[in-house]
Amino acid sequence: MDAATPGVNALDLVGASVPDRLHEVSLALAPGTLVGLVGPNGSGKSTLLQIAAGLLPGGGSVRWGGRPLGEIPMIDRGREAAWVPQEAQFEFGFSVRSVVAQGRYAHGDDEHGVEEILSRLDLMGLANRPVNRLSGGERHRVLLARALATEAPLQLWDEPLAALDVRHALEVLVLAGEIKRDGRTLLLSLHDLRIAHCLDVVIVLHEGRLRAAGPPPAVLTPALLREVFGVRAEIAPGLVLKLP
Amino acid sequence: MMPPPRVSRAALPAGLLLLAALTVVSLGVGDLWLEPARIWAGLWHHDELAATILWQIRLPRLLVAMLVGAALAASGLVMQAYFRNSLASPGLLGVSSGGAAGAVLAIGAGWVSHSILVLPAAAIVGALLATGAVLILARRGASTERLLLAGVALNALLGAVTNYVLSNFTLSYERNAQILFWLLGGLEDRTWEHATIALPILGAAALLWPLGRPMDLLSLGALEAQSLGVDVRRLRRWLLALATVLTALATAVAGTVGFVGLIVPHVLRLLVGPEHRRLVPLSLIGGAAFVVACDLLGRTAGGLRVGIVTSLVGGPFFLWMLRRQA
Repeated sequence: MDAATPGVNALDLVGASVPDRLHEVSLALAPGTLVGLVGPNGSGKSTLLQIAAGLLPGGGSVRWGGRPLGEIPMIDRGREAAWVPQEAQFEFGFSVRSVVAQGRYAHGDDEHGVEEILSRLDLMGLANRPVNRLSGGERHRVLLARALATEAPLQLWDEPLAALDVRHALEVLVLAGEIKRDGRTLLLSLHDLRIAHCLDVVIVLHEGRLRAAGPPPAVLTPALLREVFGVRAEIAPGLVLKLP
Repeated sequence: MMPPPRVSRAALPAGLLLLAALTVVSLGVGDLWLEPARIWAGLWHHDELAATILWQIRLPRLLVAMLVGAALAASGLVMQAYFRNSLASPGLLGVSSGGAAGAVLAIGAGWVSHSILVLPAAAIVGALLATGAVLILARRGASTERLLLAGVALNALLGAVTNYVLSNFTLSYERNAQILFWLLGGLEDRTWEHATIALPILGAAALLWPLGRPMDLLSLGALEAQSLGVDVRRLRRWLLALATVLTALATAVAGTVGFVGLIVPHVLRLLVGPEHRRLVPLSLIGGAAFVVACDLLGRTAGGLRVGIVTSLVGGPFFLWMLRRQA
C-alpha cells in the first residue's frame, strides 16, 4: 500500500465524459476521505464510478495518486484501486472464500488477510458455500470483501449498502471508517442521504453533470434537495442507530 | 455444496488412469481382438500382424480421437468462461459448423488436393468467421437465450452453405462421400496424416494451461476481472483465438462431433468445482477419454460413427441441463 503521499490526490478526474450519460465531470479526492456520491436514478453515478475505476473508456483523464491511468500497468491497477459493482451475479459456483481470495490476484494470489476479511464481513459461516447459492445481500458482502482483500488505497463502491440489512450496513460503515483511518480513500454511491450526511464529502450528480460537491451540511440543503431530487426535505442531523 | 477436496485431488490421477485403460481397450478391440500382451508385442514389431493393425489403423485413430476430444472439451470450457454461461459450446454456438462449412467448401472446390494444410486452414477460417458472428450477436450481454438463438441462426446459415455445396457443385462421388463424412463426424480410416494435422492441438492446449487463473476471474465478470488486475482485452483475444483454433483443428480431422464441449466441462465442474486451474488439464484428459469411449461404443455397436454416439449421449444430457437451469 502506497497510500497518502502528502499533497497528492487519491483520485483526480478531469472532464470525464460518456456520450448521453456523463458530461465533463471533474473532481479531486484527497487521501483519507470518505466520499458519498448521490443523485437520482440515472444521474450517472455508476458511470462515474466505472470511469474512476478505469473500466469504461471515455473522454477526459483519470489519475490515481497523481499517476495517469494509462501509465499504470493492468496488473498494478488491481492493487491500486478496487471496484464493487452494483449488480452481484455469479454464474459459476466458486466458494465464497475463493471469490474473496480473487482480491489477491494482483498480489500473486498470496491469500494475505483473506480469513480476517471473511470474519469482518460475517462470511466465515458461508466461506465454503458456492456464491451462486447466496442471497442478494450475502453476494454483495462477498464483493465488498473481495474489494477489501485487495488492500487498494482507492476503493470505489457502487451502492454497497442498498442490499444489506441494518446490521451489515452498519458494519460496512465501520469498515469505511477504518479505510479512512488507514489514510485510504472511499468513494461510494448511495441513496440514503442520512448516511451521506455522515461522510466527509458528498458529491451530487444530476442528469450526468456535477451539481455540487463539498461538506454534506453545506451541500445537502433543502433547496438542492428540491431541485435535484424533487422532494421537500431537510436532513435531520445524527444517525440514531449505533453498533452494540 | 462444494465437492470435497479429496475428490478434486484424486481427479487428475483418476482421469489419467481412465484414459490409460481406455487406450488399452481401444487398441485391443476390433475385428481382430488383441490382448494387452499382444498389443505390447505389436507396438515393438515382435508380432507383425498386430503391428500392422496397430500402427496402420488403431493407433492413428486413437490419437486423433484423443486430440479431438481434448480440443473440443477445452474449447467448450473456454467458451463457457468467456461468455459466463455454462451452456456455451463450440457446437451450439455454430463454431463447429463454421469449421465444417469451411472444410466442405475446400473439398467441394477441390482445393484440398493442393496441400494437406488446405483443409485445416479452411476449417480455421470458417470457424473464425463463425466466432466473429457470435461475438457480434452476443455483444450486448450473453444471456442464455441470446447465445442459443445466435447459435441456432448460425447453424442454420452454415448448414445452408454446406447444402449449397452438396447440391450445386458438380461433384464426383468421392468428393460427395468426403463431404458427408464431415457432416456426420467420424474417426473411420484416420491416418497419421490426420494425426499430424491435429497435432497443433497440443500446442494450443499448452498455451491455455497458464490462463486457468485469470479465467476464474473472467468467468465471474469481465469488468470485475479487469478491476482486479486482469488484462481482460488481451485475455479474451487469446481465449477466443485458442477456442476457435482448437475447434477448427478438431473439425478438420473428424468433422462435426457434437456436445463434447458441453458435457465434459459440465460433469467435471460437478466433480471438482469451478476452478479453471483444475478444469483446464482435466477437460483435456476428460475430453480425450470421452471421445475415445464414444468411439469404442460406436465401434462395438456395429459401426456407429463417433459424432452420432456423442449426439445420442449429448442431446438428452443438454435437455437435462436446460431443465436444471430453468
